Amino acid sequence: MRTTPILALLLATTPAWAAPPLGEPAVMGAAPATYRDAMLSGGPGKDGIPSIDAPRFQSAAAADDYLEPGDRVIGVYHEGVARAYPQRILVWHEIVNDTLAGDPVSITYCPLTGTALGFHRGATEFGVSGRLVNSNLVMYDRASDSLYPQILAAGIQGPSEGRGLEELRVVFTEWASWKQRHPDTEVLSTETGHMRNYQRDPYGAYNPKRGYYAPGSRRMFPVLNEDERYPAKHEVLGFRDRHGAVAVDLERLAKEAVIHTSANGQDYVVIHDPVLDTGWVYRGAADVDADDVAFTEAGPRFPGQDALEPVNAFRAMWFAWAAFYPQTTVIGDDAAGA
Amino acid sequence: MTRRAPERPDARLAAGAVGLVYALVYLYALGDLSTLPEAAWGARMGEPARWLDQRGLLQFEAIAMLEAGRVLWLISPLNTVVAAALGALLALNLDGAWALWRRPAACGLGGTGSGVLAAVPALLAGGACCAPSLLLLLAIPGLGAFAGLFGWLVPLSLVLLVASRWWQRHQGAPGWARAGLA
Repeated sequence: MRTTPILALLLATTPAWAAPPLGEPAVMGAAPATYRDAMLSGGPGKDGIPSIDAPRFQSAAAADDYLEPGDRVIGVYHEGVARAYPQRILVWHEIVNDTLAGDPVSITYCPLTGTALGFHRGATEFGVSGRLVNSNLVMYDRASDSLYPQILAAGIQGPSEGRGLEELRVVFTEWASWKQRHPDTEVLSTETGHMRNYQRDPYGAYNPKRGYYAPGSRRMFPVLNEDERYPAKHEVLGFRDRHGAVAVDLERLAKEAVIHTSANGQDYVVIHDPVLDTGWVYRGAADVDADDVAFTEAGPRFPGQDALEPVNAFRAMWFAWAAFYPQTTVIGDDAAGA
Repeated sequence: MTRRAPERPDARLAAGAVGLVYALVYLYALGDLSTLPEAAWGARMGEPARWLDQRGLLQFEAIAMLEAGRVLWLISPLNTVVAAALGALLALNLDGAWALWRRPAACGLGGTGSGVLAAVPALLAGGACCAPSLLLLLAIPGLGAFAGLFGWLVPLSLVLLVASRWWQRHQGAPGWARAGLA
């Protein structure tokens, strides 16, 4: 057909062509329409919280001038490149459109839910829509204008509706911990192209926790589901795949070092990282001994690892995790009744 | 009338001070004015082309930064204009409300309700800058549902303050420059 090349050209130049890489989404607690209906304005308009689209980096030594050891950073290690994105910068921007070892990625952070996630972005960029669902940042991609709640990592409106984003493991940890694991890390510079007071967090502080981040504080926006097993701002390690969602109590994980568990018909191994104080999750049956686990720049290494499938995991404020995943399994302490 | 003349400059001064403080509080609530943990001195120019970029309704990007001791000023020309306009209108309204409140006692005209009514938009203007901060402080989830409307408080305040000032003048409130002759 003579129209085929023209059609192909048109398809290739439409915004959808440049949409981020998409795949099967992880489990969703509700239909996309439910999330769409629950969207609220967070106050600032679209791009009113500006993403950083031309990030600059500095050395760890230079970053020591303004970062305290206990300050939170979002760390990523990808294809031999280690980078840290200080929380005190991302609280003003929420998204950094970056390129790591030639791969276009977006590092995202939502202060209201305490969640940091990385995504492969393809040829497009992500921006802040100004909308919230369950207090969580709703991103949009600048090619198709589809909307994605960060925690859900799936489209709820637009051409990407019902499709999942490709995630990239990031770690929300302390600066000293990240630097210990990655001494040669690069650090996002405060030269962001925007004028902000990066020494002030409008919500409070993580070092030590106060204001909105304090464990006893309350959330600010309505949610689809409330669950009082933990205080609202208690941090859990959450992971989800197409089978279901699981929340792990970080104190219990630190105590046990390795947790073997079954949920939603699947076996999982959760390994505590004592330096970064995070968990690494693998799907599959394996008998992993904590003494056999060694930590490298890329994460844990242990016998039998190749037979397991890594599952992305991230810290989240409990209220937000429970709001998105009402059916979540909880591997908790006694206080959580799990 | 001559008995009250010496009080007018004092009232005008007080209204002007309140207006100035309000303008500063507005810039602080916006994040343009903030404090630094350690004293620093310096100035830096950003990207002037961003002066029209909006963060929200009538909220604009800063294009320069001034560090003056423990105070940091992120300079947005348009935010400064809005803050100055709100502060000036608030001062005019307070001065007008004071004059209208004082007048009936001396001349037997109108009622004290006129002055109180004139102050209502001024109170609303106070909410314009503090609403988002109150949301953070009170953390009432039901209130968060209305966060999208907070941005409208600033233009609404500007309109109401202008309308209220017009109404005050219509009721006989003196102009700022002629206040001492009222």
